[in-house]
Order: sequence, then structure tokens, then C-alpha cells
Amino acid sequence: MAKWYFEDFELGQRIALPPIRVSPEEIVAFAREYDPQPMHIDPEAAARGHFGGLIASGWHTAALMMRSLATWFREAEVQSLGSPGVKEMRWLTPLRPDVGYAGHFEVRELRRAASRPMGIVGQSTVFADPAGTEAFRVAGIGFFACRPEARA
Amino acid sequence: MNEVRYFEDWRPGEVLRFGRRTVTAAEIKAFAAEFDPQPFHLDDEAAKTSIFGGLVASGWHTAALLMQMLAQVKAFVGANVAAAGFDDLEWPVPVRPGDTLTAEVEVLECRASKSRPDRGLVRFRQQLLNQRGETVLRFTSPVLFWRRGRAPQAAAAGGA
Repeated sequence: MAKWYFEDFELGQRIALPPIRVSPEEIVAFAREYDPQPMHIDPEAAARGHFGGLIASGWHTAALMMRSLATWFREAEVQSLGSPGVKEMRWLTPLRPDVGYAGHFEVRELRRAASRPMGIVGQSTVFADPAGTEAFRVAGIGFFACRPEARA
Repeated sequence: MNEVRYFEDWRPGEVLRFGRRTVTAAEIKAFAAEFDPQPFHLDDEAAKTSIFGGLVASGWHTAALLMQMLAQVKAFVGANVAAAGFDDLEWPVPVRPGDTLTAEVEVLECRASKSRPDRGLVRFRQQLLNQRGETVLRFTSPVLFWRRGRAPQAAAAGGA
């Protein structure tokens, strides 16, 4: 399979991402380490709380989005060079265990870097549950290598 | 800082400094293997020839480490309702093995909710700094807090 370079992105392109699905054990394990609040680590307290059950830490959600992106990068040999940041992330509805969330990456902006053989891709990534309710939404930018023949 | 704070207890302009954590190569690779398996987070040799010139932590690992420090501070997690997300997140300098990180949080704005009298929104600027005082992570985040005396029972036990 051919490698995916900056030149392979098109404005408005929508790319389906590998789905996100997380077990209650994974939610608790991540939160014990990084975000040990009751709604993330204690199913019984979470059931009594205002979220009505165990939910993933927002930072776990962000890491799971990264896993989905990184899986796509690997499967499609996308030549990612990392990211300087994220404009906005919104946790719209809680990420719950054992639910499959489908996501896509939409290309919003394409710009060739002036100083390096790479391009800057502005993107919007959204994941939603099977009913179509959006769980989270991210707007950010990523760096991607240019095709070798385009590097002159 | 180790007392519960309600919406009324926050003041714009206040800066809180806390946390101290040295990051190892092993944990950088372990986090990356699970969530962000790109070569510059996972493989010393491949990282050397990457644009980073060596192994660097996943930016999401860095963000999780800030949350780890925040979660130790009752002021942040004692009476929070929910966090909406974050804005303008940047990783200006990469985190490398052996870096020691500390947290700094500034209160930007406090706004009582018009529609929900039991809560208010506090906007923070959050940062992680390395041992040279360089910012390795920064973002702003809107967090909802209960107003004093308005938190339900379950929330008084810690936010859920």
C-alpha cells in the first residue's frame, strides 16, 4: 500500500476513523492512574451521581481519540509528524463503557509549511454513539510529511 | 489548596502552583504503546531521526500528567460539576525522559450561571512547566463548580 503524504489530503475530505469502544475496567484503570474521581473509578458512586453511571475521564477520551488516529496512521501509512496543539475539544456527552463510538476526521484547512518539507492540516474530528449523539468534538492541526518528489 | 472550593471561592487573577513529577522513558513508552504508538513516542532509535531528535512523551500523556496533579488538589476536584473540555491547547516544548514537571493554574474568569442557580463557570489557564521553567503544555479550560450549599449529596463526596 502506498504511503499517505500531505498531498493526499483534500479540503473537505471526510475520513472514517477506527471506532472507539472502552471497557469499564479500562475506564477505571486509566482514572486510577490519572483522574481518580468517583464518576471514573467507582461504579456504585457513579450510579448515584448526576452522570448516572461510570464515565471515562475526558483525558482518557482524548487519549482514545489519539489511539483511533494513530491506528489509522499505521493502517494507511499516514506520514504524521506530530501536532503542535489542539484549538478546541468539547466533551459533549459522557463516554460510557461498552458503547461503540464511530468517528470521522474532516479536513478543514491545508497549508504548506514555509521552512520544512511538510504540510499543516487543519481538521475537525467528531465521535458519536450508535444513536448519532455526539460524544466529543475536536478541532486541531497536524503536521504531515510532503511527498519525497515534492520536497525540492 | 487542600480544601474544597465552591464557585464563590475562586478569584480571577489567583495563581496556584503544585505538583512535581519526573517522567521516565519507560512510562513514556508504556502510555504510547496503549494510546499513541507513533515511533517518536515509542522507539529510541526511530525517535533520533524524527523531527524531535529523541524520544518524547505523547502530548496526551503530558495532559494526563497535569490531570494527575490536579486530582490531588481538593480545590479542583472537591466541588466540580463537570469540565466542558479545553481551548487553545499547545505543546510548545516536548517532554523528554528525565524531565521534572510542575503545574501552574491561573483563574481567568468566574461567571455565575444564569439558567442554573446552583452552579457557576470558572475558566482556568492551566500549564505544566519543566525543570528549566519552559512551558510544555498550556490550555484554558471552562469548569463548572457547585455554588456553596447547593451541591447534591453525591457531589459533596467528590464530584460524581
